[in-house]
Amino acid sequence: MTAPQTSPPAACATAPSAVAAEASCRLPVLFFAFSSATWLLFGAVLALLSSIQLYQPTFMEGCPWVTYGRLRPAAVNSLVYGFALQAAFGLALWLIARLGRVELTNPLGLFIAGKFWNLAVTVGVIGILAGDATGFDLLEFPLYAALPLFASYACIGAWALITLKARTERTLYVSLWFVLASLLWFPWILSSAQGLLLGWRVPGVVQAIVAGWFGNNLLQVVLIGMALAVMFYFVPKVVARPLHSQSLAQNGFWLLLLIGGWTGLSQLSAVPAWIPAVSGAANVLLVVPVVVLTYNLYRTADGGIAEAWKRSGVFRFVTVAVVLLLLVTLRNAVFGIGPGARYTQFTYFAGARTDIMVLGVFGLAALGALHYIVPRLTVAQDELPSEGLVDLAFWASVVGVVSVAIGYSFAGLTQAAVGAMADRNFLGEAVTGVAGHLKLVTFGYGAIGIGALAFLVNFALALRRCCAACCGGVR
Amino acid sequence: MNHGPLIAAGAFVSLACSWAALVMAPQVQLGSLAPAPIPNTSDVHPANRPGLAAQGAEVYRSLGCYQCHTRQVRQDALLYGARLVDRGSNASTINLELPGSGRTNLVNFNLLIALAKSRADLGITPVAVPAVLAADTNVAPVLKEFAAELKLLKQFDNKAQIVRPTSKTVNDLAATLPVEVLERTGPDEAERAVKLINDAGGKAELVIYNLGPDIERGWGARRSVARDFVNDSPVLLGSLRAGPDLACLGSRAPEKFAAPWKFASTNLASEMEQRLLIHLYNPRLVAPASTCPSAKYLFATKQPEQRFAGEPLQVPGSDKPVYPRHDARALVAYLLDQRLDVGLPEAPVTKPSVPAKIAAAPAKP
Repeated sequence: MTAPQTSPPAACATAPSAVAAEASCRLPVLFFAFSSATWLLFGAVLALLSSIQLYQPTFMEGCPWVTYGRLRPAAVNSLVYGFALQAAFGLALWLIARLGRVELTNPLGLFIAGKFWNLAVTVGVIGILAGDATGFDLLEFPLYAALPLFASYACIGAWALITLKARTERTLYVSLWFVLASLLWFPWILSSAQGLLLGWRVPGVVQAIVAGWFGNNLLQVVLIGMALAVMFYFVPKVVARPLHSQSLAQNGFWLLLLIGGWTGLSQLSAVPAWIPAVSGAANVLLVVPVVVLTYNLYRTADGGIAEAWKRSGVFRFVTVAVVLLLLVTLRNAVFGIGPGARYTQFTYFAGARTDIMVLGVFGLAALGALHYIVPRLTVAQDELPSEGLVDLAFWASVVGVVSVAIGYSFAGLTQAAVGAMADRNFLGEAVTGVAGHLKLVTFGYGAIGIGALAFLVNFALALRRCCAACCGGVR
Repeated sequence: MNHGPLIAAGAFVSLACSWAALVMAPQVQLGSLAPAPIPNTSDVHPANRPGLAAQGAEVYRSLGCYQCHTRQVRQDALLYGARLVDRGSNASTINLELPGSGRTNLVNFNLLIALAKSRADLGITPVAVPAVLAADTNVAPVLKEFAAELKLLKQFDNKAQIVRPTSKTVNDLAATLPVEVLERTGPDEAERAVKLINDAGGKAELVIYNLGPDIERGWGARRSVARDFVNDSPVLLGSLRAGPDLACLGSRAPEKFAAPWKFASTNLASEMEQRLLIHLYNPRLVAPASTCPSAKYLFATKQPEQRFAGEPLQVPGSDKPVYPRHDARALVAYLLDQRLDVGLPEAPVTKPSVPAKIAAAPAKP
C-alpha cells in the first residue's frame, strides 16, 4: 500500500502503474465478483422455486421454512444484498483504482469486510426463512443481520472513499461521479430507513412510505447509478472513442440524483393521495435524465455499435442493459402515474420493476463488467478462457431477464384487467389464469441461474489457469 | 466536476430533498394520527387488537402472508345521495282521507315542493282533494299556499328551461319509504336536497356511495386509509394480489369470498373461524382452485395436553380431527379482526338502505 501524495507533481511521480493498481484489487474484487455470482445463482434458484409455488401450491408444501411468503423475500434479498450490492462494491473498487490510478487502500481489510458482509447476508437469509423477516420490502433482513451488514458496509465504503481521495489521476471521470454518489447514497438511505423502521418505529403507514422510499432509492439511484458507471466506462472504452459530451453527462447525472429519489412510491394506496401523485410525476420526469444519459452513450458508440457487438462480450451485456434501462424507465413513466399506476397496482406488473432493475439493468451491466474484470485480475487478459461460456452466460442471462420481465408483465396485465372489473372471476382469472405467464417467469429464473453458473465455471477456469501460470494460488 | 466533496455535497442535497418530501413530510402529516371515535358508541376505530389477534399479526408477518395479500381496498369515486326516511308533518300536512274512514293518508305539501325542487327530472302533480275536505277551513289555506308554490316552481322551471315529464312524479317517489331521493351526485346537490326536505318537515339523511371494483367485489365498504393502520407495527400493507385483499376479511359477507359459501347456522363468528382454520389447514378444501399454500404445520394431529387443547377441528374428507396450535388460532383471530365497515371522517360510510315496509302512500292525483 503506497499512499500517493496529494499534490499533483508528487502524485505524478508516485502514480502506480495500471498493473500495480490492478494487482491491489485482486483479492477484494475477485472475492466480491465470486461471491456476488454465487449469490446470483443461489437467489435465482430460490426465485425459481418460489415462482413454481405461485401456480403449483403443493410444491414444497408443509414446511414453514420454504413457504412462498418466506422463500420469495429470501430470494429477493439474496439477489439485492448478496448479488447486486456485492457486485456493485467490487465494480466500485475496481473503477476507483483503475480510473483514479491508485492502489486500493487496505485490500485485506476490504476482503475481511466483504467476508462479514457475506456472513451478514447469510444470517439475514436464514433469518427470513426462519420467520424473522421485518415485513418491509427490500429491508426484510432482521435487525441482527442488518446491523452487521451496515457495519461491514461502513468499512467497505470508508476504504473505497479513502482510496478515491488518494487517487493520483485528479480528473474525476463520469463513472466515478456515479460511483461516488452510489457509495454515499447507500449508507444514508440504509441508516435512515433502518433507524426509522427498526429503531424508532415510526407510526402507521409512515413505515410503508419509508420502506418504499428506501427500496426505490436503492434501485433507482444506488444500483442504476452503479450500472451507469459501468456503462459510461465500457462503452467509450470498447468503441475506443471519447465520450460524446461531458456536459450532457453532467446534466444527466445531477437530474438523476435530484429526481431519482422521488420515484417509486406511486404503488402505495392507503396513504395521502399527494404521495403517489408526487412520485408519479417524478416517474415521468425521470425519463429526461435517462434519455439524456443513454443518448450520450449512443452518440459515443454510434457507428461502431455493430462492430463492437461482434468483437466484445462486455459490450453486448452493457448494450442490452442500456436498452433495458431505457425501456424500464419508459414503462415506469407510463405505468407509474395516474390511471396507469392505478390499473397495474397490486399486480405482478408493478412488482416486476424490482426484478427488471436488479437482474436486468444492473445485473446485465455488472455481469458484463465482471466478464472483463475477472480475466484482467486472474490471467491478465481481456477475455475469460472459454468464449462459449461467455456466449452462454450472455444469452442465458438476456433470455432469462426478458422472460421474467415479459412473464410478470403479462401476468400483471391480466390481473389488472380482472381487477378493474368487479364482475370478473378473481380466483379463476387473476390467480389460476396467469399460470402460463408465471411458467415463463420460472423458465426465466432458470435461465438467469444458468447464466450465473456459466460465469462461475468460466471464473473457475480462469482461476485454474492463473494458478497454473503463477505461484499456485490467488494472492 | 473534479472535486469529490462537491459531488458528495450535491448528492447530499439531492437526497435531503427527497428525504424531506417523502419521509419527513408524511411523518409530520400522519405521525400524530389517532384512532377516531365511532359515532353513537364509546368505541374507536381502529381499536387496539386483543392479545390473541396481536400475536396473530406476528404470525402473519412471519409466514409472509403479505407477500400475496394486500390489506388496502381502493375506491375510484366518492359520491353522495339523499335518502327520505320520514315524510314528517308540519302546518301544511293534511290528512286526505275522509274523517271516520279509518285510514290515514297524510300529505306534506311542502315536502312535495321540496322534492320537486331537488329533482328537476320528475314531474309534480297537483293533489286531488275530495270536495268535502277542500271546503274545510283548515285545509283551504294550505291548498291555496300549495297552489301558489306550484305556480312559483313553474315560473322558475320556465326560466331555467326545465321541462318536467308527466310520467314519473315526485308524488310517486314519496310513496315508499325510505327512498333514495338522489343517487350518486355531488356533495352540494345532496346536501341541498337534505336541507330542503328537512326544512319542509320531512326527514332525510345523506347517503355516501363508495364506488370502485374492489368495493363492488365486497372486499370492503370503503377505501383503506392511513388511519386504519395506526395500531399496526410493522405495517403490512402488501403490494401484490396473488390472493384476495384481506383488509376487511372479518366483516366480509360469505358470498363475497373468492370461493362463495353460506352460513349454515346462526353462530356466525364460530362458523367463520372454523372456515378460516380449515382454509389454513388446506386451502383446497374450501376453494378447490386456490393457490394458497397450506399451513398444516400450524396444526397438531395428536391431541395436545388438555389445558392447551381448545376445540378440535373437523376437517372435511377426514374422520380424524386435527388440533389447531396457538399460532393458527392467533392468525385466525387476527384475520377476523380485519374490518373496514366503520366510517372515518376521511372515509365515511353509510349503512345500505333497508327495504322499507310500505307506508301509507300519499295521495295520487
